Amino acid sequence: MPEYQITLTSRDGRQLNFNCAAGCDVVSAAEQVNIKLPSLCRDGGCGACLGHCDSGEYTLGQYSAGMLSTAAAAQGDVLLCKTYPQGDLQISAPYDYAHIQFGRQQARQAVITGLAQIAHRTVQLNLSWLDQQADKAVQFEPGQCMELEIPDTGIRRAYSLANTANWRGELEFLIRLQPEGQFSNYLRQQAAVGQVLNIYGPSGAFGLQPNNVNPAILIAGGTGLAPFLSMLRRLAEWGEDRPIQLLFGVNQENELFYQDELQRLQAKLPSLNITYCVWKPQQDWSGGFAGTPADALQLYLAKHPDQYDIYLCGPPLLVTAAVQIALAQGIAEERVFSEKFG
Amino acid sequence: MFCYQCEQTTRSDAGNGCHTDKGVCGKDDTTADLQDLMIYGLQGIAQYAKRLRQAGQPQTQADEFILYALFTTLTNVNFNANRFVQLIKETAHWRDQLKTQYAAHDPESTAVLTAGPAQWQPAASLPGLLIQAKDAAINLDLQDLGADIIGLRAMLLYGVKGAAAYAYHALMLGYRDEVINAGFEDALDFLATHPSNADELLNWSLRIGELNYKVMAMLDAANTGNFGAQQISSVNLGVVKGKAILVSGHDMHDLAQLLEQTQGLGINVYTHGEMLPAHAYPKLKAYPHLVGNYGSAWQNQHLEFARFPGAILMTSNCLIEPDNSYRQRLFTAGPVGWAGVRHINDSDFSPLIEAAQAMPGFREDSPEKLITVGFGRDTVLSVADKVIAAVKAGAISHFFLVGGCDGAAPGRNYFTEVAELAPADTVILTLGCGKYRFNSHDFGTIDGIPRLLDMGQCNDAYSAIQVASALAKAFDCGVNDLPLSLMISWFEQKAVAVLLTLLSLGIRGIRLGPTVPAFLTPVLLAKLSETFDLKTTGNAAEDIQSAMQMAA
Repeated sequence: MPEYQITLTSRDGRQLNFNCAAGCDVVSAAEQVNIKLPSLCRDGGCGACLGHCDSGEYTLGQYSAGMLSTAAAAQGDVLLCKTYPQGDLQISAPYDYAHIQFGRQQARQAVITGLAQIAHRTVQLNLSWLDQQADKAVQFEPGQCMELEIPDTGIRRAYSLANTANWRGELEFLIRLQPEGQFSNYLRQQAAVGQVLNIYGPSGAFGLQPNNVNPAILIAGGTGLAPFLSMLRRLAEWGEDRPIQLLFGVNQENELFYQDELQRLQAKLPSLNITYCVWKPQQDWSGGFAGTPADALQLYLAKHPDQYDIYLCGPPLLVTAAVQIALAQGIAEERVFSEKFG
Repeated sequence: MFCYQCEQTTRSDAGNGCHTDKGVCGKDDTTADLQDLMIYGLQGIAQYAKRLRQAGQPQTQADEFILYALFTTLTNVNFNANRFVQLIKETAHWRDQLKTQYAAHDPESTAVLTAGPAQWQPAASLPGLLIQAKDAAINLDLQDLGADIIGLRAMLLYGVKGAAAYAYHALMLGYRDEVINAGFEDALDFLATHPSNADELLNWSLRIGELNYKVMAMLDAANTGNFGAQQISSVNLGVVKGKAILVSGHDMHDLAQLLEQTQGLGINVYTHGEMLPAHAYPKLKAYPHLVGNYGSAWQNQHLEFARFPGAILMTSNCLIEPDNSYRQRLFTAGPVGWAGVRHINDSDFSPLIEAAQAMPGFREDSPEKLITVGFGRDTVLSVADKVIAAVKAGAISHFFLVGGCDGAAPGRNYFTEVAELAPADTVILTLGCGKYRFNSHDFGTIDGIPRLLDMGQCNDAYSAIQVASALAKAFDCGVNDLPLSLMISWFEQKAVAVLLTLLSLGIRGIRLGPTVPAFLTPVLLAKLSETFDLKTTGNAAEDIQSAMQMAA
């Protein structure tokens, strides 16, 4: 079976070479030699493994159209988990070398310490490392995810961490209960405090651009708030105030959550401004902007034109709409960072 | 960006210096440009501070800000663009404060400092700051003035930066000096005039060398005043079972604070790199949990930090891009910074301690391996009679001072070779982290005097100068007549300051390596060779032979 050479160049200009057998996707080929490229769903559905193919022949497997538009695919953008080389490839990755992990990823066990519904169809899940004798460290960058495995099934789902890296073994997730979601069903029917889960990670390259000084606009749809909570909590913990506009949107006001926590963060981060967006509020709601965060973004950019870094996390429709608005308002494509979830 | 301040800067036929989107050190163009602009602003503070001082109003706090700000711009110190946006604001704030004070003192003053850094207003946005930074670039007038003048300006600025870093270390230990503060103000005020006279610029570099001598004396007083004179001490290079913290950089004050805060917590503290001499200071080595030295010089930190099973503190230069494997358990202090790495403010090391307690630490002891440190000026001078007798009896034929920084360049093997090839009747004095390449070798003794004497950090060049001066006095000759050769390995701006000090003291025949600084053009190097017999490092065996023949 032919093998092709993959040369992947990270955003900071470092190169990585590995071989990929015909019929194998790029993410799996890297994994076979213990290189973990940022990726989540491994099924063309999340967009976390987006890259750009600079040269070489390949085919793309099936993927969600919301993650890679036809136009983008025509220009060489690829989802690496669905990229099957047919020759040597030169690939540019939109993340730094530091986001690539090396070595085999092993599961670690964590026990559920908290499970609470905090809003309509929204669950807060807290876990703690089971074996704390060896190492209590929870090390990750804000914006990264962990994969949680439903006990005895091998089924894993990736969720953003909502807390910050810590030395107490604590992990916090915000999870949207999907009507037919497998992990959602597990949370609804089986999960309980004291149960033990296998955890994989961290992974993912979504996060605040570390060395950029532009003001930031964060657009969160529902539990898409989780990575931004992690980022804001770290900025607050480290005393690093910087100009940030958060647009936090839900469908109905009973889906809002964590307003107290956000208020606490505002007290520590004076340059943080928060707008709550409710798409279909009750008539008497006066807690913020009536509309989607994408609508709020349009208004904000029109009122306050500047050079921004725009971060988006939420359902694909919201993210796509908000990206289009940002680009239409003159924000450079490379200053827009997004993570979608289905 | 344009930056050629360190030894590893890009060198090519097209010209020297890092000038693309990222320097060899990992500093990006935004950070480099913001650093240039901040230094421009610091010149404005200095312009007013100098004039207010002349009017009897010294500006000690503003001077201290200048020291800190300059230190952040040394190689491998602060890579955080956001931090520099903040520091530029603070710079303008200080400058405005002094400007107002000066205007109040002398209403006519507005006619004096009408342009440049004295009047500059920082732009409100990043693109604006980056446009302003173009006027602050070190190579601004290259087309008009040529590479020699730009190189001389650079040498002066880099000397100022190095001396400022040493002064900041002393300041952290509570030592300050108004004569020294005035020296920094004068030099930055001079740089603000866009000087273009070569002789005047070289003369200023030597003045900075003299200033740095005073600074190193102050730092020596600060170290010995706080922690006692260096003593001959054994340091374990092995590890001890238990939770662990590794301290790298140069700052003894940070180490002392950390040792105090970790007392009785069951955490062992290890030194790394230039912190090694800490083990020689009585009040630091008195802490039983300061258990040893781990790893080697700065350029090996990726490997050594990754393997260290505890928390790591970087107190000053030299930081390199933290690898993912230890980024979360790495902490910076003082002038150091990397975006996304936790910074410790006000010496509150509790986040670092929490990390150390959560990490596994070393699971078992490793075999003990001891080296000896502590040959500072007091130690060596206390046995001066023995040393002098050994020289007179012919038992010691020559001294080699192998001092300065280590680095990744292959040419740095030269300094190991000098140490290894030095004849058995010679003594090797070491300073700085360059010694890690050979300091665990057994060099033996001469009449009970160890052949390898480690005098301490790079700033302990002051100790070496004291010892050389005392020997010269004993032999009734000049330092240049002693059987002493200086092989200096340089990497960053502290080493530039030390070199300028040695030159300002009239010390001749120094061998500098592993490469010539990029800012020293052929013309400048020829000038320094002619005036100070400054040489580049060549072949170690030949250089040793040549040194010993000349002394004979």
